[in-house]
Amino acid sequence: MAFQEKSAWIMIVALTVSGAFYVVAVAMMSSAGELAPPVLPVLVVYTIAQTVMAIIGHICISVFAPKEANARIDEREKLIGHRAAHWSGTVLGVGVVFSLIAYLFSYDGNILFYAIFASLILSQVLEYVLRIVFYRRGVF
Amino acid sequence: MAKRFPIANRVRELRQQHGEMTQTELGEAIGVTRQTVAAIEQRRYSPSLESAFRIARLFKVHLEDVFMWDES
Repeated sequence: MAFQEKSAWIMIVALTVSGAFYVVAVAMMSSAGELAPPVLPVLVVYTIAQTVMAIIGHICISVFAPKEANARIDEREKLIGHRAAHWSGTVLGVGVVFSLIAYLFSYDGNILFYAIFASLILSQVLEYVLRIVFYRRGVF
Repeated sequence: MAKRFPIANRVRELRQQHGEMTQTELGEAIGVTRQTVAAIEQRRYSPSLESAFRIARLFKVHLEDVFMWDES
């Protein structure tokens, strides 16, 4: 498995675990029928947890393959990155537009924040999933 | 079955003819990873024109002797 593919798996795990933590935290702070507003401490914990998982994961795979870790990405890896980022950006854009439309109907800033945040996380997860797909099936 | 590019190649055969050169050695010689060489051989990736020429020059053959159109 290529180093960049292993890196993508690590990012998927980090994004999913930290995202799940964030969803659970917001659910616990919310009461029936009322969504809790986004609060900075939860976001800080979310960001730190995700960063720490990503760093530890990359250190682990780098220890086992130091040469690959230090190698420059080649033409195929660049193409895979660009193609995955293209679809990820599209999903993020669509998510933001729908979030803004939802705001025009609800005028609820909390929903706007969570919808855009969810779009960001989903687009990132999609980017790494697509990288793995392109690594395995080829990028056409 | 995974989709394949319509460009066939003789990279694996040429590697074997050149002293059983490994994918890693070929990758290092032309500036790509071992996985990219494997993807080229399995037709899951069509290399750039520059890499294609690098492969042909390394094996001292013409480009058409390495890569050929094959839609079958």
